[in-house]
This record gives sequence, C-alpha cells and structure tokens, in this order.
Amino acid sequence: MTKRHFSAVLFFVTPFGVLFALFYLVPIIYAVVQSLYTVERKGTFGPATEVFGGLVQYRQVFSDAPFWQSIERVLLFGVVQVPVMLGLALVFALLLDSGLVKGRRFFRLAFFLPYAVPGVVAAIMWGYLYSPNLSPFTAVTATADLLSPTLVLWAMANVVTWIYVGYNMLIIYSALLAVPTEIYEAAKIDGAGAFRTAWSIKIPMVLPAIVLTTVFSIIGTLQLLAEPQVFKSFSSAVSSTYTPNLTVLNASSIPNFHLAAAFSVVLALATFILSFTFLKFTQRKGVQ
Amino acid sequence: MAAFKLPKYAAMLVMAVFTLYFLTPLWWLFIASGKKDGQVTEGHALLPDNFALGENLSDLFRYNDGIFLRWMANSIAYTVGAAAIGTLLAGMCGYALAKYVFRGRELLFNIVLGGVLVPATALALPLFLMFSKVSLANTFWAVFLPSLVNPFGVYLGRIYAAASVPDELMEAARIDGSSEVRTFFTLSVRLMAPAFVTIFLFHFVAVWNNFMLPLIMLGNERLFPVTLGLYSWNTQVNQHPELRALVLVGAFVSLAPMVIAFLSLQRFWRSGLGAGSIK
Amino acid sequence: MRFRARSIAILLMSTLSITACSSSNSDDSATGTTGAAASCAPSSGPVTLTYTTWIPNIEKVVDVWNKANPDIQVKVQTGPNGNGGTYANFFNQLKAGNAPDLGHIEYDALPSFRVQDGLADLGGCDIVSQSKDKFVDWTWNQVTFGEEGHVYGIPQDAGPMALFYRKDLFEKNNIPVPTTWAEYATAAEKVKAAGGYITNFSQSDINQFAGFVWQAGGHWFGNDGTNWTVSMADDATKKVADYWQGLLDKKLVSSVPPWTPEWDNAYNSSSAWTWVSAVWGANSISSGAPKTSGKWAVAPMPQWTAGDKAAGNWGGSSTAVFKSSKHPYEAAKFALWLNTSTEALTLLNKEANLYPATKEGASLPALKEGVAFYGNQPIYDVFAEASTQVKADFTWGPTMTKTYTDASDGFKKAVTGQETLLKALQDAQASTITTLKSQSIPVKE
Repeated sequence: MTKRHFSAVLFFVTPFGVLFALFYLVPIIYAVVQSLYTVERKGTFGPATEVFGGLVQYRQVFSDAPFWQSIERVLLFGVVQVPVMLGLALVFALLLDSGLVKGRRFFRLAFFLPYAVPGVVAAIMWGYLYSPNLSPFTAVTATADLLSPTLVLWAMANVVTWIYVGYNMLIIYSALLAVPTEIYEAAKIDGAGAFRTAWSIKIPMVLPAIVLTTVFSIIGTLQLLAEPQVFKSFSSAVSSTYTPNLTVLNASSIPNFHLAAAFSVVLALATFILSFTFLKFTQRKGVQ
Repeated sequence: MAAFKLPKYAAMLVMAVFTLYFLTPLWWLFIASGKKDGQVTEGHALLPDNFALGENLSDLFRYNDGIFLRWMANSIAYTVGAAAIGTLLAGMCGYALAKYVFRGRELLFNIVLGGVLVPATALALPLFLMFSKVSLANTFWAVFLPSLVNPFGVYLGRIYAAASVPDELMEAARIDGSSEVRTFFTLSVRLMAPAFVTIFLFHFVAVWNNFMLPLIMLGNERLFPVTLGLYSWNTQVNQHPELRALVLVGAFVSLAPMVIAFLSLQRFWRSGLGAGSIK
Repeated sequence: MRFRARSIAILLMSTLSITACSSSNSDDSATGTTGAAASCAPSSGPVTLTYTTWIPNIEKVVDVWNKANPDIQVKVQTGPNGNGGTYANFFNQLKAGNAPDLGHIEYDALPSFRVQDGLADLGGCDIVSQSKDKFVDWTWNQVTFGEEGHVYGIPQDAGPMALFYRKDLFEKNNIPVPTTWAEYATAAEKVKAAGGYITNFSQSDINQFAGFVWQAGGHWFGNDGTNWTVSMADDATKKVADYWQGLLDKKLVSSVPPWTPEWDNAYNSSSAWTWVSAVWGANSISSGAPKTSGKWAVAPMPQWTAGDKAAGNWGGSSTAVFKSSKHPYEAAKFALWLNTSTEALTLLNKEANLYPATKEGASLPALKEGVAFYGNQPIYDVFAEASTQVKADFTWGPTMTKTYTDASDGFKKAVTGQETLLKALQDAQASTITTLKSQSIPVKE
C-alpha cells in the first residue's frame, strides 16, 4: 500500500504542505532564531546591531513575574470556560441531531451568528452591555460590577463563550451527521431511547471531534488577545499583562522583536505541553 | 405519548432561551446602528426610538468616497477565493492522512497541529519580511496567499474522511481501474461533501474575521478588508468621535454577507446529507 | 521521503533568505551614524512620494498639493492610528527596507523611531532650517530633540491644554471658576456636594497626566548624549501625583476610564463637570455630550502658583521623513507645505480638527470664530495663548508605548485603592529602565 499509492499521497499532500511550510514553518523558525539574538548599540540614539545572545531573552522571560501570573490566570479561565462552552455546544448539537427540535435551520444560524462578529467588535459590544449606566440589563449591572477585579475575568469568559459555542456546536453536529445511520437503526431495534442513544452511541462516536475542539479551545485560551485588549480600555482590573499574548504584543510594540519572539516560543511550548498532556490523557482513556 | 412530549418541550425551551442569549447582543447592535448621530447611550437600548438607520447607512456608504463598500468588496474577494482553494487543499491533505498509510504520516499531522500553537503575533514580522523580500507586501497576494492555509481544515478533513469514506468503496474503485486521484475527485469528494461544506464555512469565517494578517501586510486603505477598516476607524474614535457611529453601523452591515453565506451553504449541507441519511 | 526532502529544501532556502535580509539590514543601520545631518539635494526630474498617516480625509488635502505640483506627486495611504498598528508597521517596514517616504509620528513616539535609526535628519535641508521660526518653539524642540542643526520631523499639530467646564452648573452653584489647582480642589468638594464629579482621573490614558507634569515643570526623561536618565518621580511629578492622590482618596474625582461610552455618558448626563484637556478635546465633548450644548466654556489651565502662566500639552504629531527615502528634499518640501501653508492648515483643521503647530496657524479664520457648543465663546483664543505657555524642554523617552502601559497598570491599581500613584510612577520608572537595558540603550540609574 505504502509504495503503490505514494504518488497519490504526494499529490494530495504537497500543495498544502508547501504553503504550510512557507507561511507557518518558516516564520516559526525565524522567530525561534530571533529569540536567540539581542541588540547592541552605542550612545543614546546609536543604531542597533543584532548579536547572538544565547538565552539572554529567555532569562528575562523566566524572571517576568506578571507573565507567569497571566499564564495562571488563563489556565483558571480555561478550566472553567472550556468545559462550560463545550458542554453547551455538545448539548445543542445532540438536540439538533435528536429530532426533538423543530426549526433546526433557524437555530443553526442563530447560534452560529455570534462567531461571524469580528472579535474586536464583539468585545466592544459586550463592553456597552456591561457598562453600569448604559446596559439595558441594569438589574444585573446594578447588583454586580461586571468590570471589577473579581468578575471581569468571567465577564470575558462570557464573551468568549458567546462567540464560540455555535462554532463548536457546528463541528460536533457535522461529526454527528457523518455517523452512518445504520448504527442508530440497530439501536432503535434494541429499544434504546433518545437519551440512551445519545449517551452510549452518539457521544462516543463524536469523541474525536470533542477532543479536537477541546485542544483548539485550550490553544485559543492561552492565546486570548482581542477580548482583554478591548476590555483593558474600560476596566481598571485589566492590566497590560493580563494575558500572555498581551505581553507578546507589548514586547513587539517596544519594538523588541527578540524578546517578543522568546515570549512566543515559551507560550507555544506551554500550549504544546498542555494540549499534548490532554491528548495523551484522552488516548489512555481509550479514545481514538 | 406524554412521555414523548415532555422532552420535546424541554428541548424547545432550552433552544429558545439560548436563542435569546445569542441574538440579544446582535439585536442591540441593530438598535445601536440606528441611533441618530451615533448617540448610542441615548434613549432605549433595546427598542428603536429616534431611529435613523437609513440616514446612518447613507453616512456609512458615503464616508470617504464610499470606502466602506470597497472594503466589503475586498473582503469578499479575499474570502471566497481563499476559502474555496483552501478547503480543497486542506480536504486533500486530510483525506491522504486518513485513508493512506505512509511514512511520516503522524509526524506530518503533528507538525500541522504544532503550527497552530505559535501565536500569530509572533509570526507577523517574519511573514512581512518574506513578502517584502519578493515585493509582494502591501498587495492583494500578501493577504490572499497565507489565507489559503487552514491547518484546522486538515484535522476536520482527516476526521470526516475517516468516518465517511469506507475503505471497501475505495478498493472497489481500484478494482474498476480508477486511479487514486480520480477516485478522490469522483467518489470521495461526494461522500465528504458535508465535511467540505463545514470546512469551507469555517475557513470562510476565519478569513473574513482575520484582521491580524491584513493589519501587518497592508498599508493601503484601498486594499483593506472590512474588519481591518472597522478596526482602523475604531482606533481613531478618541479624536474623531463621529467614527464611533460608523463602526457600529459598519459592524452590523458586515454581518450580511456572513448570513448569506451561511444560508446558501446550509442548502448544500442538507443535500450533501441527503445522500446517506434519512434524518 | 522525497516530499520531506523537498519541503525542507524550500524551507531552508526561505529561512536563509530572511536571515540574509535581516542581517544586511542591520549592516545598513550600523553604517548610518547619527552624527552630521545628511545632505539634502533636490532630485532631478519628477518624483513620486509615499505618505502614510491616519488623518481622516487627508486625501482632500493631498489632492490640492498634487494639482499644484505635477513634479512631486504624493501617494497617500491611511490606516489605524499609531499605537493601533501603524507604528508597528513602520518598524516592520524599516526592517524590511520598504518604509514610505513620509510618515505620521506623534511627538512622544519620535524618540522610538530615532532609536531604531528610522528617521532622516532634515537639518541639512535649507528649506527646513529656514522654517524654524514659523513653528511654536516647543514643537520645534520636540522634532529636534533640542539639538542645534538636526531636524527629525516637521511639526504638524499641537495639543495645548486648558480647562473645559460647565459654565451653567458652576454659576448656578456659585462656584468660582478655578484658576489654581488649590481652587480646583476646593471646587471639587463643592461639585461633589452638588451631586457631581469635577472630573475623572485618567488611569488608562497616561498622556493627560503627562500633560499635567509637563505644566508643573517635571522632566521624565533626559538625554546627555551618552546616557538617558529616567525620573518619573521627580519633585514636580510628585507634586502632581500627590495632588491627584488626594482627590482620589477623598473620592472627589471619578474613576470612569476615559474614552468609554460610560465616560461620554458622564458628561452627557451632567455628572462630570470639567475636563482639563487639549484643544482637540473640544470635539470629544461636543460629540460625546450633545445634550449639554451651549453650556460649556473654556478657561486657562489651573496654575500651581496664583498668577503663573503655564500650560501643558497633550498629544500633537509631526510629519517625519524616513531614512530610507530617496527624495528627502522633496519630502521635506511637501511636509513643510502640509504643515505651514494656510490652505493646507485650513483644510486640516476643517477636515480633521487639527490644531496647527505654527505661530501663524493660531490666527486661521476658523480658529477665531465663536463655537456654538461653547456658548459662542471664541475658545481657540484660550488655546492660542496656552500654546505659547508650553515649556520647551520636555523630552519623551525612547520606549514610550511600554512606559505608558507600565504606568497605566500602576494607575489602575491606584484608582482601585491597591497602591498610590507615586508608587505606580516609581514602578513605571524601574520597568522603563529594564526595558531600556534590554534594548541596550544606555541609561543612568
């Protein structure tokens, strides 16, 4: 098989592979190389020369306390927000698939629409809705200041949930659609109810899709940027180092490309370790 | 019968409550877009009073010689082409990963997964330098070419190909003398249709919403996609507050192509499903 | 196997080409010294210049130039504001070698671009050095860094500060219009008693606080040619910080973050009564608080000592020529026209509300008229006077975006009662020094 279909595989894989190498791998390698450099200059306005600096940028990354606090913060965010979001997405997908719900086309569109709103605009919009004096939901904003240090993280979690539930729902839903119907027929003959079918047949069948959306949500959480960037301007509780990616952005706007690259490499490694651990964990549990 | 009705009502109730959750902010955006002179804080937040949507729309379309319409057209140009080609490429790659055993398969898959781990903020400068090197920075291609790559599409493609293209069918095609590539285009593509529609939809929205890449690549406002245009207006509201209203109206209008895309894709989705399902 | 070998080959080639590109770039900058001003010879034949800015409707102004100057055509490009992405793009373009000829750079960002070796020194252009007297002194100082014979940009607009206040509410409550900061604090108590806030403390936009410090005679940055000094907690700054800390502690100022809808609403619903802001702020109030039309007035900025005449500055920008430009003379010629000619200044003011940096600019007809929103007061007269009272020796540091975010992080803690403004400034100073060192910019501690 391997030998025989080699040219076909090459045909299928090469176009994507070349573009991926060009637009992902090369920039990544460049960033890693950059992270090992530093600048030298003479005089107060002396032009910079790039010199090899070894791990000097990484030393700064590891001694940057706010950066590590921000990683803790997004982890806390992810531990709560990702299960809630994917739980909702799974329930909606199963409901849409169960035949219990009428008007499936409408719900699919309604739930997916928030994802079509650009992240920055969505954050601005929710900013209005959270403002104590402007919100149409004064009953909520009068009892709890959603932009205060204790609540603002969850206020942002709500924005992210609002945007991505429908998106994840569609991924799981289309995985459900790909399941061959014969399997359900067999279950029906066995007398399994809708709930039983969902629990013991559908969920296991779409587990790969759930694992996938989880990994992407973990990555997305660690790379949180648009929401804190917008919320920074209207909440005193959101600092410029609130999430790791904001720190990357700050370093690159100094501009200190080398330090920004080092932050990114460390952030990517942290993301890798987490997603990898999650994948290994689920594989041990017998998924895939 | 009652035992069957109850879950039905409960299900509809859940869906209705969450429809409110998802649509209320968008309804607010619609109402805010219609406020006279951009006075978002004036009047009722969820009811149209002092409604001047038409006036606001004409302001939006006239501002700076109609730059907004140009941005919309740009967005469509970037998005449709990139999503169509990108879906095909990602689908092919995912199909190969799912249906063929070859050396380095898992390595390739893991590298593609790994590519998504690095924050886009870090890749900005290298990408810009590459395109500058070949004098393509600040052109259509600087946004279009990188938009073709959608690692996520590869994962979806792999999962759906594994689930929906049976090995037996491929084997049968082989016996009939069909080449692998021909089998893909004549048989597998049809079986994977719902997957392709899904990948296309996600790719379409991702490219539509991407503003980091155009922000870095484009200096020329005439080439901006609509998200970057709105973002760039929004950065100026401090000193030019009149732009605040345009950002809101613009954001609302920019949803229209997404709704159209979704509705028209949904049709294909259903017909794709019709082939193998009676649900 | 062949696939892998091929993709690795492509990848290596591209990597090499990027590395080559960046190293050749740093060679260029290594040879470009900051010593004498570069020569500034006119080009022969027609030229086309590129100009990047974020001024709305700038095309209308540039069209006027292009019609009159067929040999020096300017192609204008607009995008997000400086910190919103255009500066980052400039830095990237400088590294790639495809920066435009001209760029819009705010005064506080000029040192960053000079440190990155991105600016052409126009000191050698006679047309530029001859224009020195046209500009308000302090704006000229911003673009020359106080160095004789060097010019790194043409001043474009200025943000002299004054006091916007609710005339009607002050009169109704018998509160005298404050002329000193002490009176302002007294007024703050009376306003609070009447159910409002005198103003907000700007925790997320540090520029306003910097304007206060500028007025008080503080100096955050210094540069003696061999070393930078950072003194964000000098005596003047301390005075300003303690003053606002006092108002915050007594809850006499609100902590509504500036530029938010909530903040607009505070003015629109008459719960905020004054704003010490720059000339361009006139537009922010009138569009943010339309319900209060006709009820506002403008007075000079409160003083630290009664009878003094000092003003701060908030904002303002320059038109700089990038070092990579092949036509610095023509670029300078355009920048001078854009920022000194009456027709351009009139258009810039009309289309984008820019307040000119030239001495003559203050007497544009449009800037002499009464403004209806401000009870027909000719408010620009107040700013014209303020502009002459801005101290000339305030210097910005070479990593201002980072300094601002560091200070803002601390100020946010201060308004939520977790620390003091002074502590925030001391911390910002420490982290600014770290930032400078990480860029190996010499700094004296």
